[in-house]
Amino acid sequence: MSPDVRQTRRVMTLFRQTLPNSDRMEDADNDDSWKTWFQLHGPKLLLCARQWTRSLADAEDVVQEAFVRFWRHQRGLPGNPMALLVTSVRRAALDLGRRESRRAVREGRADGGREDREPVFTTPLEGAERREVVEAALCRLPDEQREVLVLKIWGELTFEEIAAQLDLPPNTAASRYRYALVALRRELTAADCHG
Amino acid sequence: MDDDFQQLEVELKRLRPAAPTPALLARLERALAAPPRRAAAGWWFWAAAALPVAAALAVMIAFAARGARGAAPRSVGQPAVGATPLAQAAFQPVAAENLLYAAHDEGLVTLADGTAARCERFDYVDTITWKNPRTNASVRWSVPREEVRVVPVNFQ
Repeated sequence: MSPDVRQTRRVMTLFRQTLPNSDRMEDADNDDSWKTWFQLHGPKLLLCARQWTRSLADAEDVVQEAFVRFWRHQRGLPGNPMALLVTSVRRAALDLGRRESRRAVREGRADGGREDREPVFTTPLEGAERREVVEAALCRLPDEQREVLVLKIWGELTFEEIAAQLDLPPNTAASRYRYALVALRRELTAADCHG
Repeated sequence: MDDDFQQLEVELKRLRPAAPTPALLARLERALAAPPRRAAAGWWFWAAAALPVAAALAVMIAFAARGARGAAPRSVGQPAVGATPLAQAAFQPVAAENLLYAAHDEGLVTLADGTAARCERFDYVDTITWKNPRTNASVRWSVPREEVRVVPVNFQ
């Protein structure tokens, strides 16, 4: 279990222990705990949301919708809260995508409304140049491989949880993850060779 | 999985996803500070509750009018003027329809006893039509109604 997941569970356990039943859903206004939680997991959620949306603004919209619903109604539910939130984010993103596709068709946009992507990562990895290479390689992965990779590496979900999210057999999720790593390694090796 | 893959995984994990913009945090703060949508459902509830009351009133008026019509022949000697307005006011419900115009799946919620349930919200417009067979006048009344269905779920 990763340190982030452990910390999430500690925060959730703390909530369950300290708040009486009636206060659990309504006390978000009075404390900053959601901020602590969001600081820890917001960037990962946003990254997941960006796999299913056309722009950073759309991704933030779906994260807001999912997080408010989670914090108000779902944070007492059993299970991995991150998996629950990712489910919520994905559903909101798919709904938004359907609406946007209809709008793009109406407006005759050939690109389906997809906008240029802002930087996805912030931490320099052996310098900004390397980060850009990795990010570009990630962007070139097929969508179905990239979403599995993102959910596994940054969403910290298990293959079973990823399979449930994407309605796939767990073996398919694991295969897509492996194909994504193979493709990434090929891209990065080529980039290293061309210097 | 070979060492190359493990190294690649480590390299990827060292990348930190970009933080959300301050605007998103501000929006979350506002959204979480606002009262939940349930609290705003007050007048919907009263509007929905008024519907059966109105229907019951209409039925009572209809019965009263029918009673007045039935009693009229026996009340010989009395002026017919008193019965006429009631008879003319004999509106009878002739149609009722529900139009579903929005449905929201609000996801999983926790009930008071700790069990999980799925919450679905439906918005309807109920329309009832009354008609007076004597004068052929009709009255249509439309009222919005919100229905919340809470369905228990099981995690297997």
